[in-house]
Amino acid sequence: MAEFTSTVHQNEFLPDGGTDVHAIVSVTCSGAGEVVAWGGSGGTGGAGYPGGSGGDAGEVIIVDVSGSMDVQGVQAAAYAASAALDEIVDGVWFAIVAGNHEAALCYPTGTSAAMARMSAQTRLEAKRSLQRLAPGGGTAMGRWLLAAGQLFATVPSLSKRHAILLTDGANQHETPQELSWALDQVRGRFQVDCRGLGAAWQVAEVRRIAETLLGSVDLIRTWDGLSEDFAALMASSMGKGVSDAQLRVWAPQGAEVLFVKQVSPTLEDLSGRRVEVNALTGGYDTGAWGDETRDYHVAVRLAPKAVGQEQLASRVQLVVGGEVRTQGLVKAAWSSDDVLTAQISPEVAHYTGQTELASAIQEGLRAKAMGDDVTATSRLGRAVQLARETGDDGATSRLSRVVDIDDAATGRVRLRRHVDKLDEMELDTASTKTTRVRPS
Amino acid sequence: MSDPTTAPLPDDPTAPIPAPGSGRTEAPAPGAEQPEAEPGADAAQPEAAPAEPAAEEEPEPFSDGPPPLPEPMLVLDGALPPAAAAAPEVDHGTCTSCGGGFDEEGWCTQCGERRPDPRHHVTSAPSASVAGVCDRGRRHRDNEDAMALWADDGQPGRAVLVVCDGVSSAPRSAEASLAAAEAALEQLRGSGDPEQRHDRAARAAADAVAAVAGESHRDAPSCTYVSAVVEDDRASVASIGDSRAYWLPDDGEPQRLTSDDSMAEEQVRAGIPRAEAEAGPLAHTITRWLGPDSPDHRPGTTVHDVAAPGWLLLASDGLWNYASDPADLAAVVRSVGSRVGHSPAPLAQGLVDWANEQGGADNITVALARCGDARQDGTHG
Repeated sequence: MAEFTSTVHQNEFLPDGGTDVHAIVSVTCSGAGEVVAWGGSGGTGGAGYPGGSGGDAGEVIIVDVSGSMDVQGVQAAAYAASAALDEIVDGVWFAIVAGNHEAALCYPTGTSAAMARMSAQTRLEAKRSLQRLAPGGGTAMGRWLLAAGQLFATVPSLSKRHAILLTDGANQHETPQELSWALDQVRGRFQVDCRGLGAAWQVAEVRRIAETLLGSVDLIRTWDGLSEDFAALMASSMGKGVSDAQLRVWAPQGAEVLFVKQVSPTLEDLSGRRVEVNALTGGYDTGAWGDETRDYHVAVRLAPKAVGQEQLASRVQLVVGGEVRTQGLVKAAWSSDDVLTAQISPEVAHYTGQTELASAIQEGLRAKAMGDDVTATSRLGRAVQLARETGDDGATSRLSRVVDIDDAATGRVRLRRHVDKLDEMELDTASTKTTRVRPS
Repeated sequence: MSDPTTAPLPDDPTAPIPAPGSGRTEAPAPGAEQPEAEPGADAAQPEAAPAEPAAEEEPEPFSDGPPPLPEPMLVLDGALPPAAAAAPEVDHGTCTSCGGGFDEEGWCTQCGERRPDPRHHVTSAPSASVAGVCDRGRRHRDNEDAMALWADDGQPGRAVLVVCDGVSSAPRSAEASLAAAEAALEQLRGSGDPEQRHDRAARAAADAVAAVAGESHRDAPSCTYVSAVVEDDRASVASIGDSRAYWLPDDGEPQRLTSDDSMAEEQVRAGIPRAEAEAGPLAHTITRWLGPDSPDHRPGTTVHDVAAPGWLLLASDGLWNYASDPADLAAVVRSVGSRVGHSPAPLAQGLVDWANEQGGADNITVALARCGDARQDGTHG
């Protein structure tokens, strides 16, 4: 049985008339278990999760075969897909989709939408079928996602559905509206980890897919790294034994939840994902959990009370299959003692800085792409400053490949004349990866 | 689903990495395959092999006499325990602000209000002439003051009062102050020389604080201590720290019976005017206290004549901060008494209310014993 624990970091003291309570709630999962092979899950004969809610697991590998991939690219993608197949545990349902301006079922081979159960036999067949992949056509990722949704729907016993999506180009054969529509159709049906190969894909577009479908987005510079990355992605998915998990945030009557963000390991604003559990409680799907820690930043606005009064500002719970597995309490206490009320929790300060850092990078790059050098310089300068303040050396190093840093402390920078597009994209994709608070 | 012609895969150099176990479908070469396939296929085999010779060495059946009769097996009646009842909703009380229920940690599930802590306001009135009120005040979240009172209407003229003020900078001080007050009361109720009782009581109180502290000597909880034993016309008073005892006769000069162990008091002794010293930044820094990290636990004791009608008053600094001088405090008691009457319980409450009206910056404790009246009715006026 997976075990969840939580810790709340906050300064609960508010000054007279203060209303806004901020807290970082750290949720840790241990004993999540792994997908267990045939027969190991007790009777169903499929692959299940001893630590999670039971049921079968399904994986769909989506490979871009558009013309831009070229023969070499498709071969590398096939090789990477093959490495991912090696990581899929026997008994897990799987399928391979070849995507261009359409979505074709590469495996299982057949005349109707279907998934196959992993075994030595099907793994081998799947690898052989990858040889059928050939470059050609355009890119319509919405269709690929709809196809994945269609495949998952053919196996009603699935309790965990996960896909890997590889692309190398912009979504040229669909309008943004068409992609949005497709995302709306598949939202909540499965998780997708997205990987962009080379420099021709749009970070913002693929990030939108990953964020909607509770997955990650990353840049793969060249074909060399693809195979390892796919294998690692699949292995990590196999290690996520807890599915059907939801973060719940309660706030008292009359209070307003300002936002709920995941701030570690990556930055994601969950506010828009809220579904009402009851009048005072919102639910936010978290996707599957392995043995890991995730930090959430919760902000609640309260009606102020008299100095000396206190109240509960929020209950933050992790719920699996409808059962509360851990709860953190966020409190508020009004005080006239400035020493108490002026303190900011180091965790809240750190992640507030990291959040601002991410938006400064993204806004700076957007301005740079539009030729607005003044805004780009000022935002990226601010990013350099924040990266220094929050001790994010990785971000500082990525920024230094896009701007020349004159003075990190004041954020004085100059845009570099010649920037490798891949460096810029890496800065963008990595902007949502946060560092944790350094022990002081 | 798969193409049957490609299913048992022949070795093909262009094929992607073959999966492990792909050779299994090939016909095994007889003999050669055997040693490779066996260990994986039958794990029990290696253990079974050595077991065979061992079986031959087993003792002959019945060599030690007939086997014991088999115990008759239990016949199962198939009775099932009642299905586990759903965990009953525990009632943790109802919120007075909104009518919602409290959760197990004492927070309202509707409005988030905290369940009132009974410690926030405590009243005690063991007899008609002795009473006290201990209150959180307006500014503090918790009440770290504590009191313990004893009196018996059947033994007029005797009373024991103890007040302790937990040091709020140390954790668990609320628990420590209550344990100290109760431990001291237990000793002071006994008989014998009052001064020895005071020593025993202070030691017992210090032990009680140490017990709460447990192993943690860093940030150990601690508290002040003031106690009074009234026996007929005499009151013996002991104190450590800055909680105080006053004698406020109806007629005559009001007096403070204790001397603070505080930086302010040391400044006064050094010649700084009392008002100035008590308003200074270090005024509330105490130099002696009860706790595992305190220098000593021997209280300063005095004995005072309380034959005349009047009030013996013990208080934490939550009260005397607003009226330190005995004459000022006597005036407050007279003024409050004229409003609420001269019974100890309403008078103690009235004094706490008065301190809260002044700001209630600290926890407030007031313990009162009426002295010198006709012992039969125990009240005054």
